Amino acid sequence: MRNPLNRRDFIKTLGAGAAAGLCCKPRFSFGGSDETLRIGYLPITDATPLLIAHALGYFAEEGLKVERPRRVRNWSTLSESFMTDKFNLTHMLLPIPVWMRYNSNMPVKVLAWDHTNGSALTVRSDLSIKSFVDLGGKQIAVPYWYSMHNIILQMGLKKVGLTPVIRPQSYKLKSNEVNLFVLPPPDMPVALAGRKIDGYIVAEPFNAMAELKIGAKILRFTGDIWKNHPCCVIVMKEEIINTDPVFTQKTINAVVRAQKWVTGNMAEAAKILSREGEGYLPTSVESLKRVFTGYELSVYGPGAVPQAIHHPEWKISRIGFQPYPYPSATRFIVNEMRQTRMEGDTGFLKTLDPDHVVKDLMDDSFVKKAIMDVGGPSAFGAIDMAHPWKREEVIEL
Amino acid sequence: MGILKRFFSRKSTDLRFLQKGKWFAGRGYYSLAGLGIFILLWVAIGYMLFTRPGYEHFSGFLPLPTLNALYHLLLDPDFWRSVYASLRRVVAGIFIALLIGIPLGLLIGFYVKLRLITYTPIQFLRMISPLSWMPIAMLIFHSFEAAIYFLITMATVWPIILNTAHGVTLVNIQWLNMARNQGAKDYQLLSHIVLPASIPYILTSLRLALGVAWIVLVPAEFLGISSGLGYLINDARDTLEYDRLMAVVIAIGIVGFVLDGSIELIQRAFHWG
Repeated sequence: MRNPLNRRDFIKTLGAGAAAGLCCKPRFSFGGSDETLRIGYLPITDATPLLIAHALGYFAEEGLKVERPRRVRNWSTLSESFMTDKFNLTHMLLPIPVWMRYNSNMPVKVLAWDHTNGSALTVRSDLSIKSFVDLGGKQIAVPYWYSMHNIILQMGLKKVGLTPVIRPQSYKLKSNEVNLFVLPPPDMPVALAGRKIDGYIVAEPFNAMAELKIGAKILRFTGDIWKNHPCCVIVMKEEIINTDPVFTQKTINAVVRAQKWVTGNMAEAAKILSREGEGYLPTSVESLKRVFTGYELSVYGPGAVPQAIHHPEWKISRIGFQPYPYPSATRFIVNEMRQTRMEGDTGFLKTLDPDHVVKDLMDDSFVKKAIMDVGGPSAFGAIDMAHPWKREEVIEL
Repeated sequence: MGILKRFFSRKSTDLRFLQKGKWFAGRGYYSLAGLGIFILLWVAIGYMLFTRPGYEHFSGFLPLPTLNALYHLLLDPDFWRSVYASLRRVVAGIFIALLIGIPLGLLIGFYVKLRLITYTPIQFLRMISPLSWMPIAMLIFHSFEAAIYFLITMATVWPIILNTAHGVTLVNIQWLNMARNQGAKDYQLLSHIVLPASIPYILTSLRLALGVAWIVLVPAEFLGISSGLGYLINDARDTLEYDRLMAVVIAIGIVGFVLDGSIELIQRAFHWG
């Protein structure tokens, strides 16, 4: 018999044992109807449709197996988890899948809009910033280079003649320059209160929390600049969509039903999501109520300083849940992304054709059917019934 | 200054001045004094920082709001679930690190050639922040839980390997020579002399590993899990509740202190040679 503790064997066994104990084969197959829905989300109100669809049991009613949605803390973790199949349904800021698919060749598809509006530009209250013009020479944080927030902010800055720059914080800014940098959303209110930054543009509830907890001011709601703009979108992987369209349709049905329910039950939705309710978000119900119902003209409208709402006639809400991904908005975003200053390799944007993105990245067949099932586009306030799947993008600073 | 210097330098390397039974000259007295200084500093620096205008929103960092939040935390079943979840992750991660690190450390310490071969890769790998492994962890493992174990293992395996190997090199060479003369094989040397003699070093490495594991835990719990002390800290940050954040920090401190203390007790029992 050989020596049982021969050192080479010992190392070999050890290595094999460690490998067997640690590693688990990654999942390669997408099971047909026995696929379980694994939802990932960030603790922001952008996740509302996915969370409410789970809370109200809509996924289960569609006959889907679903795990409780899992909370991660930043976009990189979310997209990495999604790409490695930890999640098969998630929400992402619209520019992220554009970048994933066309810069990194990742097989993602956008199936619907997750929500509209739901973001704001928040500023320190002690600087008497009254409008975009006053942002010259200031430090503004964005949540991610590939975000609606970055695009809308830079659009606004350029319109009033300011130049967005990306510089170290010690850099001496000219009076017409605005310095941008990325900051994780939870750190934004802290940095603002600690006077490290002068403002930030981000999704809720970080604007509502800053209003309520540190007395910051909302300079402008993003939905008041670009009427009912998309923010996060619903993404799934191309493989699932192709191999299992029934699963995909059921998933989107549940999401759209949730979007319709939230549209009619804003306050109730805030309660369910809150820490006092079902605990999907760690946020208090007070902050969430502000997000879902806090769009009063008396607080933000004419006469308020700064005036966060310039277009009361648009009759929008602070956060909306219209699911249809209007191609005009996609085209607009792709065009704007080219002119938006970002860190990193943005070369792929130069050759990217907006019409190709509309056809190639977006798949609106599932969401169209789901919308028809819940009463058609009018259920979400589409106005032009002659062309329900088209709209004109309205952008006014 | 002179008094302080005299106080600290007198018998500075010897613990025999501690007298059992006399509270003012015992170990507990010095521990309490240290704790008192820590709390005083916390209060002083806290009030200096957070009573300035514009910083009132951060008064949660001060001791009183923290203690209040800690009290509420202790009554919260979610907190205890989180303590359990985090402990399980730390223990599992370190356990895997021990399984890999002790044998590797023994061999590296025992065989000089192996030590030379592994020197560069180990020095290289141990300098990498374990969090840079996060994307790789997500690719390899299909559950978040396993990915977190992996991150903790990656952080803790290096001090275990290095300390164990160091312990092995300090084994009295005459013991080994004597055993060899009696015809002992390498594996017998390893199991009968090297391993027992290195146990104090392994236990020290365990204490080091424990500290590192808690450092990695908070960012590792960024991943998709639903409980844990790091997860609670992330929640507190997401909602600007700094009293709660500090309370969890204190809780982590206490848990770590208890764990470290229990290893120290074991260590005393093994303090031979």
